[in-house]
Amino acid sequence: MKTYRICVIGGHCGVRMIVVAEHLQELLRNAGYICEVTHQSLWDHPTPPYAANLVLELLPAFTEAEAGCPVINIKPLLRDLDHPQIIDQVLKHVQASFSLVSTQSTR
Amino acid sequence: MLSTLDEDFGNPSSMHWAGRRAGILITQARAEVAAGIGSRPEEIYFTSGATEADNLALFGVLRQYRPGDAHLIISAIEHHAILHAAAQLVREGYDVTILPVDSDGHVDPQSVRQAIRSETVLISVMLVNNETGAIQPVEEIGAIAAEHGILMHTDAVQAISNLDVNVHNLNVHLLSLSGHKVYGPKGIGALYIGKGVRIMPVAYGGSQEKGLRPGTENIPGIVGLGAAFRFAQNHKAEERKRQAQLRDHLIMGLRARIPQVVINGPSEKVAPHVVSASFLGSDGEMMLIRLNAEGIAVSMGSACTSKSIEPSHVLTAMGLPREQIEGTLRISLGYPTTESELDRFLEVIPAVVQRTLS
Repeated sequence: MKTYRICVIGGHCGVRMIVVAEHLQELLRNAGYICEVTHQSLWDHPTPPYAANLVLELLPAFTEAEAGCPVINIKPLLRDLDHPQIIDQVLKHVQASFSLVSTQSTR
Repeated sequence: MLSTLDEDFGNPSSMHWAGRRAGILITQARAEVAAGIGSRPEEIYFTSGATEADNLALFGVLRQYRPGDAHLIISAIEHHAILHAAAQLVREGYDVTILPVDSDGHVDPQSVRQAIRSETVLISVMLVNNETGAIQPVEEIGAIAAEHGILMHTDAVQAISNLDVNVHNLNVHLLSLSGHKVYGPKGIGALYIGKGVRIMPVAYGGSQEKGLRPGTENIPGIVGLGAAFRFAQNHKAEERKRQAQLRDHLIMGLRARIPQVVINGPSEKVAPHVVSASFLGSDGEMMLIRLNAEGIAVSMGSACTSKSIEPSHVLTAMGLPREQIEGTLRISLGYPTTESELDRFLEVIPAVVQRTLS
């Protein structure tokens, strides 16, 4: 079974980026989705994340063509970790794409 | 300055020849700094920077009184060295009034007059704001303070490199300075304390700086500060004019290329070396990252904390909406800045703004 990889992209607000990533990981786990949620600071790595299935951006960094996967702007989570529309958008996207990715067999 | 790390390594507190040589270097630097602000050399007290100078001014004056017996007036756009020191004084039981500013970022002297109470002992208003370049009416506020027998302090860090600063014309009793804002070394600054002004130290342990700033002197820093002041005295008039032209060139270029740009702060009574520009709809930090990748160094108008994005307290005090602040860049000019560097920035910025719309 393949791991569903989500990458949270942030900037100088490193602590906040980690908090957001951990919060989303827990939220998705509670919803029944075991995902690998990583984070990447653009100050350290300005290039698109490697092998992500979904990129969640706290800053408007990459287009979907650059990221090679869907990109969602989650900037409102900087102020509100449980921002309803953003959480809903992320959950719906994971719901729709999780099984497609996680049921693919790996060698 | 380099010689103080080698042949002039003496400690000025020592009585031998090496110590005396170091002492002479301090005396020379003190005279150079004093000449830069129109004071007497003996009114200059070296510190580790402007933050320490600001702290020394506020705590040194207020703590001579019992909490409840002394009142401080500051403005909402002061540097955190003042704001945080004032917050500590509040915790210690002192009263502090924080004055608002207008939409240009200027303090109204009449608001100072209205805030004065019988127990007001100190007013502190910065000379030039570090984010907008707004020049504050310190001379007028100082005159009001003098009418009431109140001490007047100004943080003049942002003024020294370009403006003519004279403590007597400004009507101030205390004035803070920093080395690196005038192209001197980091980790050195000074507090001007006018003759007859009584303040108490915030640290104890030696008789250096007449006991007001004990501890072995930072000789390389002090010598560097003196040299920087001498350099600034010789160049500031010419630089003021040149940087004002560069600032106009930058603002005109931004307006011509980016219709949604808003220049924050005043168009008059403004120092030439700062431009605060809001790119409506763009993300400040993403602009910073993309400009950084192009080799261009600017700052932004908000900062991330572990809990949220904190918008600039200066722009907030001016009444700017949060969305505007989040798309704000602070572009600083200096003696080394050239027109071709600004042209390169102007060439790059439209694509950066477009690419960072959030």
